[in-house]
Amino acid sequence: MVTVSHPRAEGGRLSGLLLVALPVVLLIWLVLWPVLQAFVGTLYFPGKGFSAASYVYFFSDAYSLRNLWLTLWVTALTSALRVAFAMPIAIYLRFRKGSIAAFVQSLALFPMFVPSVLVAYAFIRVLGPNGIIDTLLVAVHLPKLPSPYLAPAGPIIGLVWEGLPLTLLLLLSGLGRVSTASVEAARDLGAKGWTIFTRIILPRIQSSIIVALAFNVLGLFSAFTLPYLLGPASPEMMGPYMQRTFSDNADPLNATTQAVITFAFCAAFGVIYVRAIAKGRKGPA
Amino acid sequence: MAQVRLSGIAKTFGKVTALDAMDLVIDDGELVCLLGPSGSGKSTLLRIIGGFEMPSEGTIAIDGVDVTDLPPEQRPTAMVFQSHALWSHMTVFGNVAFGLKLRHLPKAEIRDRVERVLDLVGLSGYGARLPSQLSGGQQQRVALARSLVIEPKILLLDEPFASLDQHLRERLRDEVRDIQQRLGITAVFVTHGQDEALAISDRIVVLADGRMQQVGRPGEIYAEPKTAFVAGFIGAMNMLDGTLADGEILASGLRLPAEGSGLARLAIRPEDISLTEPEEGRTMTVRRMIDFGAHVVIDGKLADGTHLRIQTDKAIRVSQGEQIGICVESWTVFTDGDEPRRYRSDTVRSFRGARYA
Ligand SMILES: Nc1ncnc2c1ncn2[C@@H]1O[C@H](COP(=O)(O)OP(=O)(O)OP(=O)(O)O)[C@@H](O)[C@H]1O
Ligand SMILES: [Mg+2]
Repeated sequence: MVTVSHPRAEGGRLSGLLLVALPVVLLIWLVLWPVLQAFVGTLYFPGKGFSAASYVYFFSDAYSLRNLWLTLWVTALTSALRVAFAMPIAIYLRFRKGSIAAFVQSLALFPMFVPSVLVAYAFIRVLGPNGIIDTLLVAVHLPKLPSPYLAPAGPIIGLVWEGLPLTLLLLLSGLGRVSTASVEAARDLGAKGWTIFTRIILPRIQSSIIVALAFNVLGLFSAFTLPYLLGPASPEMMGPYMQRTFSDNADPLNATTQAVITFAFCAAFGVIYVRAIAKGRKGPA
Repeated sequence: MAQVRLSGIAKTFGKVTALDAMDLVIDDGELVCLLGPSGSGKSTLLRIIGGFEMPSEGTIAIDGVDVTDLPPEQRPTAMVFQSHALWSHMTVFGNVAFGLKLRHLPKAEIRDRVERVLDLVGLSGYGARLPSQLSGGQQQRVALARSLVIEPKILLLDEPFASLDQHLRERLRDEVRDIQQRLGITAVFVTHGQDEALAISDRIVVLADGRMQQVGRPGEIYAEPKTAFVAGFIGAMNMLDGTLADGEILASGLRLPAEGSGLARLAIRPEDISLTEPEEGRTMTVRRMIDFGAHVVIDGKLADGTHLRIQTDKAIRVSQGEQIGICVESWTVFTDGDEPRRYRSDTVRSFRGARYA
């Protein structure tokens, strides 16, 4: 018996290793190696030695800092808004069944299948200057609204819309672990909607929310298309900023430095994400 | 403390009729079991009483007050769910105190009442634990305590111990019965275990396909089932298909006196059959003998191969393949659309002496 179980355990370990081998190789090859290259490339210059001048420049340049700050708060606000919008929909979908729920679900997941470029142009047609909203307002003799187009609100609106489905799915998977009976038990004892949400549901989907936030932050920090097409020209988000520094200014060193800094921020959220997953694994939510 | 009156309750889910025209009065301080096979509508009925489902038709009154349109939190009921209903992020104390905190009671009183109810369910000193640190039985005790602490007038239990092993289930159901009697509260207990229902209820409501088959005391339901379904569902029963003619029922080669004509079902309890000398129309071939210690069950085959079970004295010994004579002491005949007819044989010829080992 003992001799039989030994090779079997060995085989399990081997197939386990094989399973993770491919992602690990890809991670090292496509992510970690270029990052290391970029990092070293911005600090060490063959023939000249070490220099952190490009970092010093980034963190002392008012424009770069404004871009970083814009990226940070747009990312934070957009992530928060995505979760805030997705949460009621997710709760509705979790606890209601039927044809209306199915319709709401397909409507909420629809943005997933629309390319960003289309979103941007649809946005401009509807919310842009002289877009549909403006036309309607003028038609009923109301003043035009300040358009969010080319303002920070522009990319925020577009990004919230675009990211809603993924956030919704993540929250739904978390809510799947909240049993109907545990919610009904709370209702039975006299808890109302808000109390049930904060005291019963929220503590159980904490890890899902953190995962959703971390996922969003990772994607948003380096978002390009929507900030580029809908966002302000100055300050600009890190995505367009990097691209412009690289190709318009032909300044690969500073572009790489920006990329490394962006990566550092994302990596920090990556750590939070991994921690949340590990925590969610340990105990049932 | 409370009487529940259901009048004409019906519930449909889309095209499925889960409950049909239900009238029932549950008396103050009574423990009523809802008993029936899976899908018979037990949970649906309980959830309607608790306010978790709205009936499609009919009304519910508690102590004469119509509560049909009230949500669960406004009814004097508390529900104990089958499983997974404890809040795993709260301690035992937190779980039990939840309902009291919602009522904004002073801290000292909450502590006091939680401790008392934990004591009642035999969990004093467990307050600081998390549900995941308790056994399955202890978790269900916490669920019970959580419902009891708000002092409901009516306790609703939906197969609360179904996931526990037999011994624990028996112990907990007796405890529930004890607590219910001590507190004098009304209780509705859903189960699909007939032994559970027979053991603890004041009355049993037998459900099948969303209809009430029979309501009665456990002994009554056992001794005088009103429908063939109840007869077959409660306790062990031999159910045989037969035909009525000439003052007799003929089923699988077995002939017994009975009135009426046409197709009928013959129901005989295993303990209502005794052994006798083989005789035309009264014989059976032994397939197996099961010794339960306290009694013996003989599994046999009638002339046409139909199984028949006999429960008899523990000292009786028969061997496989042996032809034995049977004497049916009492039997019930069910015909469609008619009241069941019960018969007793006054000519019980004892053959026991010869068979004692
Ligand atoms: N929410 C629902 N939607 C649709 N049909 C339902 C719903 N709840 C119950 N039913 C149907 O109603 C009938 C009765 O269900 P119910 O849950 O009351 O049965 P039960 O007697 O409690 O069974 P079990 O012993 O398996 O718990 C079943 O046919 C079931 O499919
Ligand atoms: Mg049920």
